[in-house]
Amino acid sequence: MKKEKDLKIGRRSFLKLTAGAAALSGMGLPEKSFAGTEQRLSTLIDLSLCDGCVDREIPACVGACKEINRDKIPQVIDPIPEPWPRKTIEDWSHKRNVSDRLTPYNFIYVHKADVRGAGRVRTIFVPRRCMHCDNPACATICPFSANHKHKNGAVVIDQDLCFGGAKCRDVCPWEIPQRQSGVGIYLNVLPGLMGNGVMYKCDLCVDRLTQGKLPGCIEACPREALLIGSRAAIEKAALSRATRINGYLYGKTQNGGTATLYVSPVPFEEINRTMIKKPGQPDMKINVERRMAGTDTLGKAVLAAPVLGLAAAAVAGVWRRIISRQEKAGREE
Amino acid sequence: MTDKILTQKNRVVRHGAMELIEHWAIALSGLILLLTGIFELPVGKRYYIIDIPGLGWSADFITSLYLHYAAALVFTAAAVFHVLYHGLRGEKELFPRKGDLSESVTVIKSLLGFGEEPPMGKYLPEQRLAYAGMALIILMLIVSGLVKTYKNIYAPDMSHGILLWATWLHNIGFILFFLAFLAHMAAIALRPNWPMVRGIFTGKVRLDYARHRHLLWIAGMEPEPQEPATVEEGERQLLPSGEEPVMKKTEEEDLPPEQVTQEENKE
Repeated sequence: MKKEKDLKIGRRSFLKLTAGAAALSGMGLPEKSFAGTEQRLSTLIDLSLCDGCVDREIPACVGACKEINRDKIPQVIDPIPEPWPRKTIEDWSHKRNVSDRLTPYNFIYVHKADVRGAGRVRTIFVPRRCMHCDNPACATICPFSANHKHKNGAVVIDQDLCFGGAKCRDVCPWEIPQRQSGVGIYLNVLPGLMGNGVMYKCDLCVDRLTQGKLPGCIEACPREALLIGSRAAIEKAALSRATRINGYLYGKTQNGGTATLYVSPVPFEEINRTMIKKPGQPDMKINVERRMAGTDTLGKAVLAAPVLGLAAAAVAGVWRRIISRQEKAGREE
Repeated sequence: MTDKILTQKNRVVRHGAMELIEHWAIALSGLILLLTGIFELPVGKRYYIIDIPGLGWSADFITSLYLHYAAALVFTAAAVFHVLYHGLRGEKELFPRKGDLSESVTVIKSLLGFGEEPPMGKYLPEQRLAYAGMALIILMLIVSGLVKTYKNIYAPDMSHGILLWATWLHNIGFILFFLAFLAHMAAIALRPNWPMVRGIFTGKVRLDYARHRHLLWIAGMEPEPQEPATVEEGERQLLPSGEEPVMKKTEEEDLPPEQVTQEENKE
């Protein structure tokens, strides 16, 4: 009964907000199609609404994601070629049911955070998946451009182009992408020497979005704790919700900004304290710098290098002409 | 044109200071680009390169990117400078000419001991062909690299099609650049080419070498000096100073130090 009441409140809050914010038209509503548009999208994860689906075997968002992506990974080759010289193989094909961490077969999981404060323990459930960063190093640094940010904001790995080198995981502040060895294009090149599988992560259900459907996790959430909408609408909604509950935001500034905004009634420092960073289980540090931002100044200088070369050639040309004139005058004298 | 015969010193000026700066700017930045480009692949950890003293940073892709950008700044500016500066001066000595391909085959055959070299200009025919090839590779690398840099800073969501083109041009360009670098090193490893190595460090090569191998270049420069400082191969004659300027002796100037020592010891 209590659950039903909570659900009503949740739904009411959602509707109230929807009505209150003009920009929210179309936010998270299946009938609003994002198909074929290049509109920048964002998602909102409202931790004040998520209850972790404790009455279910696995949370609804996790289950929906698993179902949608069930056949995504092709048959893993047996035996998986042993990489040389470091012999790391990551094979999750026999542990497909794992749902409490990120794996190549599980793109979202829900962390349970028992946050202590004001003399009581409050349980917060935190769905974790790719944040779909605004300038994602995982995509820009991919040597084969297999990982790419779409116009709508989804950061998507093309499994037909990925060699599974795991650079994306190394540069991701949350180490989100997960590797499945024994699949992918590397098998057709030099499997022992180059590549090691394919990296997998949430792609924001980009194919479903183009079909006018919602991402699986958002569609499945029984409490509408997950929403999707235009960037502006989601930002407005997140801010409005955070203000209303005197809560906190996460994802707006982290790693230079992301397309995922968490709203929480408790500080993220407290939530982060409950998280021990492990493979496939990211933490939620507040200060997450975009490391590549440091290289931007030098990168801009590179873009200006042709102009620099041109200017130097002009100066050197004029200087050379002056010298040769002086030499000529000297000879004539 | 800085080429000049220095008869008394037995030297010909082959490259001016500007050309030496251009060459070394491209060469050194190109080597840094090759190395940091390799480190932009996930090889540091896999191949235990991080365990080599001084290369602990090889698996840190952002550090490699800083270095890659710094070298790209020099590389791109130097390449644009080279094209404009020499282009505006109308210098075309390195452009491939008709017949370079067949003449290159003759030169390479002669390097292997078959037949005679044809009379050559300042640059060997294969140098002109290599220049054109290298120019094309560098153009590919710079254009695709600039697209990738723009994407990194301003447009991570740029057209995936354009980005894939840029990425693969850059990756193929990297392989070709690496092969071209190896070919360049192989060329200077050949003994007949050794006298030119001095040229790319000091700007000058031996006059007797140039007379012997770059006949058309020397012939087209200055009037024949009255008293040549060198001799034809096989002949021995005294210079006015009474020294013995034989080809063999002057050749020793271009040998690596240890080899000179060995040959001296034999004597």
